[in-house]
Amino acid sequence: MKFSVRELVYIAIFGAIWGALEITVGSYLHVIFPPLADTFLVGLIMASIGVVVALIGRLFVPRTGSVLMIGIVAAILKMISIGGVKLGPLVAILAESLLMELGLLTARRPRRRSFVFAGALAITWNFFHKFIMMWLLFGRGIYEVYVGMVRQGASLLRIDVSYALVIIVVLLFMRIGAGGLAGWVAWDLGRVVRDRVAR
Amino acid sequence: MTVWQDRSLVLGGRGVVLSSYGYLIFFFGTVLMAILVTEAKVALILGSTLVFAALFYRDALRLLQRWQLWAFIVPTLLLSPFVIGQKDVFLWGLSLSREGFWAGVWMAVRGLSIAVAAGVFAGAVSVSQMAQLFERMRLKGLGFALGVATNMLPVVQETIESSYQAIRLRGGFRRHRLETLKLLVVAVIAGSLRRGDDIVCAAEGRAFDPSKSQAPRLHLTPADVTLGGVILLLGVVLLLV
Repeated sequence: MKFSVRELVYIAIFGAIWGALEITVGSYLHVIFPPLADTFLVGLIMASIGVVVALIGRLFVPRTGSVLMIGIVAAILKMISIGGVKLGPLVAILAESLLMELGLLTARRPRRRSFVFAGALAITWNFFHKFIMMWLLFGRGIYEVYVGMVRQGASLLRIDVSYALVIIVVLLFMRIGAGGLAGWVAWDLGRVVRDRVAR
Repeated sequence: MTVWQDRSLVLGGRGVVLSSYGYLIFFFGTVLMAILVTEAKVALILGSTLVFAALFYRDALRLLQRWQLWAFIVPTLLLSPFVIGQKDVFLWGLSLSREGFWAGVWMAVRGLSIAVAAGVFAGAVSVSQMAQLFERMRLKGLGFALGVATNMLPVVQETIESSYQAIRLRGGFRRHRLETLKLLVVAVIAGSLRRGDDIVCAAEGRAFDPSKSQAPRLHLTPADVTLGGVILLLGVVLLLV
Protein backbone atom coordinates (compact mmCIF):
# COMPACT_ATOMS: atom_id res chain seq x y z
CA MET A 1 0.00 0.00 0.00
CA LYS A 2 1.53 3.30 -1.07
CA PHE A 3 -0.27 6.53 -0.35
CA SER A 4 0.51 10.04 -1.57
CA VAL A 5 1.35 12.81 0.90
CA ARG A 6 -2.17 14.26 0.58
CA GLU A 7 -3.76 10.88 1.24
CA LEU A 8 -1.56 10.33 4.29
CA VAL A 9 -2.45 13.75 5.68
CA TYR A 10 -6.16 12.99 5.20
CA ILE A 11 -5.67 9.63 6.92
CA ALA A 12 -3.96 11.49 9.79
CA ILE A 13 -6.82 14.01 10.03
CA PHE A 14 -9.56 11.38 10.14
CA GLY A 15 -7.50 9.33 12.60
CA ALA A 16 -7.05 12.43 14.75
CA ILE A 17 -10.80 13.19 14.64
CA TRP A 18 -11.66 9.62 15.65
CA GLY A 19 -8.93 9.69 18.33
CA ALA A 20 -10.09 13.08 19.65
CA LEU A 21 -13.68 11.85 19.91
CA GLU A 22 -12.53 8.65 21.64
CA ILE A 23 -10.49 10.67 24.13
CA THR A 24 -13.13 13.34 24.88
CA VAL A 25 -16.60 11.87 24.23
CA GLY A 26 -15.47 8.31 25.07
CA SER A 27 -13.94 9.29 28.42
CA TYR A 28 -17.01 11.39 29.25
CA LEU A 29 -19.40 8.52 28.49
CA HIS A 30 -17.27 6.10 30.53
CA VAL A 31 -17.61 8.46 33.49
CA ILE A 32 -21.39 8.98 33.27
CA PHE A 33 -22.32 5.34 32.57
CA PRO A 34 -21.56 2.49 34.99
CA PRO A 35 -18.71 0.06 34.09
CA LEU A 36 -21.18 -2.72 33.20
CA ALA A 37 -22.62 -0.52 30.40
CA ASP A 38 -19.16 -0.18 28.87
CA THR A 39 -19.44 -2.55 25.94
CA PHE A 40 -23.17 -2.71 25.53
CA LEU A 41 -23.86 1.04 25.47
CA VAL A 42 -20.75 3.21 25.50
CA GLY A 43 -18.98 0.81 23.13
CA LEU A 44 -21.91 0.88 20.73
CA ILE A 45 -22.06 4.70 20.69
CA MET A 46 -18.30 5.07 20.25
CA ALA A 47 -18.16 2.36 17.58
CA SER A 48 -20.93 4.09 15.61
CA ILE A 49 -19.09 7.43 15.80
CA GLY A 50 -15.86 5.72 14.72
CA VAL A 51 -17.56 4.05 11.77
CA VAL A 52 -19.01 7.37 10.58
CA VAL A 53 -15.64 9.15 10.79
CA ALA A 54 -13.59 6.34 9.21
CA LEU A 55 -16.04 5.80 6.34
CA ILE A 56 -16.17 9.53 5.56
CA GLY A 57 -12.37 9.25 5.47
CA ARG A 58 -12.71 6.48 2.86
CA LEU A 59 -14.56 8.89 0.56
CA PHE A 60 -11.53 11.19 0.68
CA VAL A 61 -8.94 8.40 0.40
CA PRO A 62 -10.72 5.81 -1.77
CA ARG A 63 -7.97 3.19 -1.58
CA THR A 64 -7.69 -0.19 0.10
CA GLY A 65 -6.08 0.06 3.52
CA SER A 66 -7.06 3.68 4.24
CA VAL A 67 -9.71 2.79 6.83
CA LEU A 68 -7.32 0.38 8.55
CA MET A 69 -4.68 3.14 8.71
CA ILE A 70 -7.25 5.60 10.12
CA GLY A 71 -8.10 3.00 12.79
CA ILE A 72 -4.45 2.39 13.68
CA VAL A 73 -3.82 6.15 14.02
CA ALA A 74 -6.93 6.54 16.24
CA ALA A 75 -5.93 3.53 18.37
CA ILE A 76 -2.41 4.84 18.96
CA LEU A 77 -3.72 8.32 19.82
CA LYS A 78 -6.13 6.73 22.28
CA MET A 79 -3.21 4.79 23.74
CA ILE A 80 -1.11 7.90 24.43
CA SER A 81 -4.03 9.85 25.91
CA ILE A 82 -4.15 10.85 29.59
CA GLY A 83 -6.31 7.88 30.60
CA GLY A 84 -3.43 5.50 29.87
CA VAL A 85 -3.38 2.21 28.02
CA LYS A 86 -6.64 0.28 28.01
CA LEU A 87 -6.53 -2.93 26.07
CA GLY A 88 -10.30 -3.11 25.41
CA PRO A 89 -10.84 0.09 23.37
CA LEU A 90 -7.55 -0.49 21.57
CA VAL A 91 -8.54 -3.95 20.36
CA ALA A 92 -12.05 -2.70 19.52
CA ILE A 93 -10.81 0.19 17.34
CA LEU A 94 -8.35 -2.04 15.46
CA ALA A 95 -10.88 -4.85 14.97
CA GLU A 96 -13.59 -2.45 13.79
CA SER A 97 -11.33 -0.77 11.27
CA LEU A 98 -10.14 -4.15 9.98
CA LEU A 99 -13.73 -5.36 9.59
CA MET A 100 -14.71 -2.12 7.83
CA GLU A 101 -11.82 -2.65 5.46
CA LEU A 102 -13.00 -6.20 4.75
CA GLY A 103 -16.56 -4.98 4.21
CA LEU A 104 -15.38 -2.35 1.76
CA LEU A 105 -13.59 -4.99 -0.31
CA THR A 106 -17.02 -6.07 -1.58
CA ALA A 107 -17.09 -3.07 -3.94
CA ARG A 108 -14.32 -1.73 -6.13
CA ARG A 109 -15.39 1.89 -5.74
CA PRO A 110 -17.05 3.47 -2.68
CA ARG A 111 -20.79 2.78 -2.83
CA ARG A 112 -23.58 3.34 -0.36
CA ARG A 113 -24.30 -0.37 -0.05
CA SER A 114 -20.66 -1.21 0.67
CA PHE A 115 -20.63 1.53 3.33
CA VAL A 116 -23.78 0.09 4.94
CA PHE A 117 -22.31 -3.42 4.84
CA ALA A 118 -18.93 -2.30 6.19
CA GLY A 119 -20.60 -0.36 9.02
CA ALA A 120 -22.80 -3.31 9.99
CA LEU A 121 -19.84 -5.69 9.90
CA ALA A 122 -17.68 -3.37 12.02
CA ILE A 123 -20.24 -2.82 14.75
CA THR A 124 -21.07 -6.52 14.91
CA TRP A 125 -17.64 -6.79 16.52
CA ASN A 126 -18.99 -4.75 19.43
CA PHE A 127 -21.31 -7.64 20.28
CA PHE A 128 -18.54 -10.25 20.38
CA HIS A 129 -15.94 -7.90 21.88
CA LYS A 130 -16.72 -8.55 25.54
CA PHE A 131 -16.90 -12.32 25.06
CA ILE A 132 -13.63 -12.47 23.10
CA MET A 133 -11.79 -10.16 25.51
CA MET A 134 -13.06 -12.11 28.50
CA TRP A 135 -12.04 -15.41 26.91
CA LEU A 136 -8.62 -13.96 26.13
CA LEU A 137 -8.11 -12.66 29.65
CA PHE A 138 -9.77 -15.33 31.77
CA GLY A 139 -10.10 -18.41 29.55
CA ARG A 140 -13.02 -20.70 28.82
CA GLY A 141 -13.99 -20.84 32.50
CA ILE A 142 -15.44 -17.34 32.32
CA TYR A 143 -18.30 -18.67 30.15
CA GLU A 144 -19.24 -21.08 32.92
CA VAL A 145 -19.41 -18.07 35.25
CA TYR A 146 -21.66 -16.17 32.82
CA VAL A 147 -23.94 -19.14 32.12
CA GLY A 148 -24.19 -19.80 35.85
CA MET A 149 -25.07 -16.15 36.52
CA VAL A 150 -27.75 -16.16 33.79
CA ARG A 151 -29.27 -19.40 35.19
CA GLN A 152 -29.30 -18.11 38.75
CA GLY A 153 -30.62 -14.71 37.67
CA ALA A 154 -33.40 -16.36 35.63
CA SER A 155 -34.41 -18.61 38.54
CA LEU A 156 -34.33 -15.62 40.92
CA LEU A 157 -36.62 -13.59 38.63
CA ARG A 158 -38.64 -16.76 37.86
CA ILE A 159 -38.33 -16.38 34.10
CA ASP A 160 -37.32 -18.92 31.48
CA VAL A 161 -33.61 -19.12 30.58
CA SER A 162 -34.53 -19.03 26.88
CA TYR A 163 -35.45 -15.35 27.32
CA ALA A 164 -31.74 -14.67 27.79
CA LEU A 165 -31.13 -16.12 24.32
CA VAL A 166 -33.82 -13.85 22.86
CA ILE A 167 -32.19 -10.82 24.53
CA ILE A 168 -28.79 -11.82 23.09
CA VAL A 169 -30.22 -12.13 19.55
CA VAL A 170 -31.99 -8.76 19.90
CA LEU A 171 -28.72 -7.15 21.07
CA LEU A 172 -26.89 -8.59 18.05
CA PHE A 173 -29.51 -7.28 15.58
CA MET A 174 -29.45 -3.88 17.29
CA ARG A 175 -25.74 -3.69 16.54
CA ILE A 176 -26.14 -4.75 12.92
CA GLY A 177 -28.85 -2.08 12.52
CA ALA A 178 -26.76 0.62 14.20
CA GLY A 179 -23.77 -0.25 12.00
CA GLY A 180 -25.82 -0.14 8.81
CA LEU A 181 -27.26 3.22 9.86
CA ALA A 182 -23.77 4.56 10.64
CA GLY A 183 -22.64 3.50 7.13
CA TRP A 184 -25.68 5.16 5.55
CA VAL A 185 -25.08 8.40 7.50
CA ALA A 186 -21.35 8.34 6.64
CA TRP A 187 -22.16 8.16 2.92
CA ASP A 188 -24.51 11.18 3.11
CA LEU A 189 -22.31 13.25 5.42
CA GLY A 190 -19.19 12.48 3.43
CA ARG A 191 -20.74 13.84 0.25
CA VAL A 192 -21.86 16.99 2.05
CA VAL A 193 -18.32 17.50 3.43
CA ARG A 194 -16.85 16.89 -0.04
CA ASP A 195 -19.14 19.55 -1.53
CA ARG A 196 -18.26 21.98 1.26
CA VAL A 197 -14.50 21.46 0.86
CA ALA A 198 -14.75 21.78 -2.95
CA ARG A 199 -16.45 25.18 -2.66
CA MET B 1 9.07 12.66 28.14
CA THR B 2 8.26 13.20 24.49
CA VAL B 3 6.13 10.86 22.49
CA TRP B 4 8.91 10.29 19.99
CA GLN B 5 11.58 9.48 22.51
CA ASP B 6 13.42 6.23 21.86
CA ARG B 7 12.83 3.95 24.78
CA SER B 8 15.08 1.02 23.93
CA LEU B 9 16.17 -0.12 27.33
CA VAL B 10 19.60 -1.00 28.60
CA LEU B 11 19.24 -3.23 31.62
CA GLY B 12 21.30 -1.74 34.44
CA GLY B 13 24.10 -0.81 32.05
CA ARG B 14 24.84 -4.49 31.49
CA GLY B 15 24.31 -4.28 27.77
CA VAL B 16 21.02 -6.21 27.63
CA VAL B 17 19.23 -4.21 24.94
CA LEU B 18 15.76 -5.20 23.85
CA SER B 19 14.33 -3.62 20.73
CA SER B 20 10.62 -3.19 19.99
CA TYR B 21 10.73 -6.70 18.52
CA GLY B 22 11.80 -8.05 21.89
CA TYR B 23 8.83 -6.47 23.63
CA LEU B 24 6.54 -7.70 20.87
CA ILE B 25 7.90 -11.25 21.29
CA PHE B 26 7.41 -10.94 25.06
CA PHE B 27 3.81 -9.72 24.71
CA PHE B 28 2.66 -12.33 22.20
CA GLY B 29 4.65 -15.06 23.96
CA THR B 30 2.98 -14.28 27.28
CA VAL B 31 -0.52 -14.13 25.76
CA LEU B 32 0.01 -17.42 23.91
CA MET B 33 1.41 -19.21 26.96
CA ALA B 34 -1.33 -17.85 29.24
CA ILE B 35 -3.92 -19.22 26.81
CA LEU B 36 -2.30 -22.63 26.30
CA VAL B 37 -1.06 -23.42 29.79
CA THR B 38 -3.57 -24.85 32.27
CA GLU B 39 -4.37 -24.37 35.96
CA ALA B 40 -1.48 -23.89 38.44
CA LYS B 41 1.12 -23.52 35.68
CA VAL B 42 -0.36 -20.08 34.92
CA ALA B 43 1.16 -18.91 38.21
CA LEU B 44 4.60 -19.49 36.66
CA ILE B 45 3.63 -17.29 33.71
CA LEU B 46 2.53 -14.52 36.09
CA GLY B 47 5.77 -14.88 38.07
CA SER B 48 7.89 -14.65 34.91
CA THR B 49 5.87 -11.67 33.64
CA LEU B 50 6.30 -9.80 36.92
CA VAL B 51 10.06 -10.51 36.99
CA PHE B 52 10.40 -9.32 33.37
CA ALA B 53 8.39 -6.16 34.15
CA ALA B 54 10.51 -5.47 37.26
CA LEU B 55 13.72 -5.84 35.25
CA PHE B 56 12.82 -4.09 32.00
CA TYR B 57 9.89 -1.76 32.57
CA ARG B 58 9.04 -1.22 36.22
CA ASP B 59 6.38 1.43 35.48
CA ALA B 60 4.11 -1.33 34.16
CA LEU B 61 3.77 -2.65 37.71
CA ARG B 62 1.85 0.53 38.58
CA LEU B 63 -1.00 -1.09 36.70
CA LEU B 64 -1.53 -3.29 39.75
CA GLN B 65 -2.48 -0.16 41.74
CA ARG B 66 -5.35 0.71 39.39
CA TRP B 67 -8.83 -0.07 40.72
CA GLN B 68 -10.16 -0.62 37.19
CA LEU B 69 -7.97 -3.70 36.86
CA TRP B 70 -9.21 -5.15 40.15
CA ALA B 71 -12.81 -4.29 39.21
CA PHE B 72 -12.38 -6.95 36.48
CA ILE B 73 -10.38 -9.46 38.51
CA VAL B 74 -12.18 -9.51 41.88
CA PRO B 75 -15.74 -10.31 40.63
CA THR B 76 -14.36 -13.34 38.74
CA LEU B 77 -12.64 -14.49 41.90
CA LEU B 78 -15.76 -13.97 44.03
CA LEU B 79 -18.34 -15.44 41.64
CA SER B 80 -16.51 -18.61 40.55
CA PRO B 81 -17.04 -20.62 43.80
CA PHE B 82 -20.78 -20.04 43.45
CA VAL B 83 -21.27 -20.99 39.80
CA ILE B 84 -18.51 -23.43 38.80
CA GLY B 85 -18.36 -27.08 39.96
CA GLN B 86 -20.13 -29.08 42.67
CA LYS B 87 -20.78 -27.29 45.97
CA ASP B 88 -18.65 -29.14 48.53
CA VAL B 89 -17.79 -26.50 51.15
CA PHE B 90 -20.12 -24.71 53.57
CA LEU B 91 -18.78 -21.42 54.87
CA TRP B 92 -20.71 -18.76 56.82
CA GLY B 93 -23.97 -20.27 55.65
CA LEU B 94 -22.92 -20.24 51.98
CA SER B 95 -22.45 -23.35 49.88
CA LEU B 96 -19.35 -23.01 47.76
CA SER B 97 -17.31 -25.08 45.35
CA ARG B 98 -13.64 -25.77 45.93
CA GLU B 99 -13.19 -26.46 42.19
CA GLY B 100 -14.86 -23.13 41.39
CA PHE B 101 -12.60 -21.28 43.82
CA TRP B 102 -9.42 -22.59 42.17
CA ALA B 103 -10.84 -22.03 38.68
CA GLY B 104 -11.43 -18.39 39.69
CA VAL B 105 -7.89 -18.06 41.06
CA TRP B 106 -6.32 -19.38 37.84
CA MET B 107 -8.54 -17.16 35.71
CA ALA B 108 -7.50 -14.13 37.77
CA VAL B 109 -3.81 -15.06 37.50
CA ARG B 110 -4.13 -15.47 33.73
CA GLY B 111 -5.89 -12.08 33.43
CA LEU B 112 -3.17 -10.39 35.50
CA SER B 113 -0.39 -11.93 33.39
CA ILE B 114 -1.88 -10.65 30.14
CA ALA B 115 -2.65 -7.20 31.59
CA VAL B 116 0.93 -6.75 32.87
CA ALA B 117 2.41 -8.01 29.57
CA ALA B 118 0.25 -5.51 27.65
CA GLY B 119 1.30 -2.75 30.05
CA VAL B 120 5.00 -3.54 29.49
CA PHE B 121 4.63 -3.56 25.69
CA ALA B 122 2.57 -0.37 25.53
CA GLY B 123 4.83 1.48 27.95
CA ALA B 124 8.25 0.37 26.73
CA VAL B 125 7.65 0.74 22.99
CA SER B 126 7.42 4.37 21.87
CA VAL B 127 4.84 5.60 19.38
CA SER B 128 7.47 6.03 16.67
CA GLN B 129 8.69 2.46 17.18
CA MET B 130 5.12 1.21 17.08
CA ALA B 131 4.59 3.05 13.81
CA GLN B 132 7.77 1.43 12.45
CA LEU B 133 6.46 -2.00 13.45
CA PHE B 134 3.28 -1.30 11.48
CA GLU B 135 5.30 0.05 8.55
CA ARG B 136 7.10 -3.29 8.39
CA MET B 137 3.65 -4.79 7.81
CA ARG B 138 3.45 -2.97 4.44
CA LEU B 139 1.68 0.08 5.88
CA LYS B 140 4.13 2.60 4.41
CA GLY B 141 3.82 6.18 5.56
CA LEU B 142 2.08 5.33 8.82
CA GLY B 143 4.88 7.01 10.80
CA PHE B 144 4.33 10.24 8.89
CA ALA B 145 0.54 9.99 9.30
CA LEU B 146 0.97 9.39 13.01
CA GLY B 147 3.27 12.41 13.37
CA VAL B 148 0.74 14.61 11.56
CA ALA B 149 -2.12 13.19 13.65
CA THR B 150 -0.26 13.83 16.93
CA ASN B 151 0.24 17.46 15.89
CA MET B 152 -3.30 17.77 14.56
CA LEU B 153 -4.94 16.38 17.69
CA PRO B 154 -5.01 19.69 19.66
CA VAL B 155 -6.11 21.50 16.47
CA VAL B 156 -8.97 19.05 15.93
CA GLN B 157 -10.01 19.31 19.57
CA GLU B 158 -9.97 23.12 19.28
CA THR B 159 -11.99 22.96 16.03
CA ILE B 160 -14.60 20.73 17.70
CA GLU B 161 -14.83 23.07 20.69
CA SER B 162 -15.03 26.31 18.67
CA SER B 163 -17.52 24.89 16.14
CA TYR B 164 -19.71 23.58 18.95
CA GLN B 165 -19.66 26.93 20.77
CA ALA B 166 -20.35 28.87 17.55
CA ILE B 167 -23.37 26.69 16.71
CA ARG B 168 -24.65 26.80 20.31
CA LEU B 169 -24.37 30.61 20.51
CA ARG B 170 -26.42 30.90 17.32
CA GLY B 171 -29.20 28.95 18.96
CA GLY B 172 -28.33 25.53 17.58
CA PHE B 173 -29.36 22.38 19.48
CA ARG B 174 -32.56 24.10 20.70
CA ARG B 175 -34.52 22.56 17.86
CA HIS B 176 -33.68 20.49 14.77
CA ARG B 177 -30.99 18.82 16.84
CA LEU B 178 -30.08 16.19 14.27
CA GLU B 179 -29.68 18.83 11.56
CA THR B 180 -27.48 20.88 13.91
CA LEU B 181 -25.37 17.83 14.75
CA LYS B 182 -24.89 17.22 11.03
CA LEU B 183 -23.78 20.84 10.61
CA LEU B 184 -21.31 20.41 13.47
CA VAL B 185 -19.78 17.25 11.97
CA VAL B 186 -19.48 18.87 8.53
CA ALA B 187 -17.92 22.03 10.02
CA VAL B 188 -15.38 20.05 12.07
CA ILE B 189 -14.28 17.78 9.21
CA ALA B 190 -14.21 20.52 6.57
CA GLY B 191 -12.29 22.85 8.92
CA SER B 192 -9.72 20.14 9.77
CA LEU B 193 -9.25 19.21 6.10
CA ARG B 194 -8.60 22.86 5.19
CA ARG B 195 -5.88 23.01 7.83
CA GLY B 196 -4.53 19.74 6.49
CA ASP B 197 -4.06 21.34 3.07
CA ASP B 198 -1.39 23.61 4.60
CA ILE B 199 0.51 20.54 5.82
CA VAL B 200 0.25 18.93 2.37
CA CYS B 201 1.64 22.09 0.72
CA ALA B 202 4.49 22.29 3.24
CA ALA B 203 5.42 18.59 2.83
CA GLU B 204 5.18 18.66 -0.97
CA GLY B 205 7.16 21.91 -1.06
CA ARG B 206 10.00 20.07 0.69
CA ALA B 207 9.74 17.13 -1.76
CA PHE B 208 8.86 14.85 1.14
CA ASP B 209 8.64 11.15 0.21
CA PRO B 210 6.44 9.24 2.66
CA SER B 211 7.65 5.86 1.46
CA LYS B 212 11.11 6.55 2.89
CA SER B 213 10.99 6.21 6.66
CA GLN B 214 12.63 9.10 8.52
CA ALA B 215 13.22 7.18 11.73
CA PRO B 216 16.21 4.85 12.34
CA ARG B 217 15.48 1.29 11.20
CA LEU B 218 14.50 -1.32 13.75
CA HIS B 219 16.82 -4.27 14.15
CA LEU B 220 16.50 -7.54 15.99
CA THR B 221 19.11 -7.52 18.79
CA PRO B 222 20.87 -10.58 20.31
CA ALA B 223 18.80 -9.96 23.47
CA ASP B 224 15.58 -10.26 21.43
CA VAL B 225 16.70 -13.60 20.02
CA THR B 226 17.70 -14.85 23.49
CA LEU B 227 14.36 -13.73 24.92
CA GLY B 228 12.50 -15.47 22.09
CA GLY B 229 14.46 -18.66 22.80
CA VAL B 230 13.77 -18.50 26.54
CA ILE B 231 10.04 -17.95 25.96
CA LEU B 232 9.90 -20.82 23.46
CA LEU B 233 11.74 -23.14 25.85
CA LEU B 234 9.55 -22.15 28.80
CA GLY B 235 6.44 -22.65 26.69
CA VAL B 236 7.49 -26.12 25.54
CA VAL B 237 8.46 -27.17 29.08
CA LEU B 238 5.18 -25.92 30.56
CA LEU B 239 3.13 -27.63 27.88
CA LEU B 240 4.92 -30.98 28.11
CA VAL B 241 5.35 -31.28 31.88
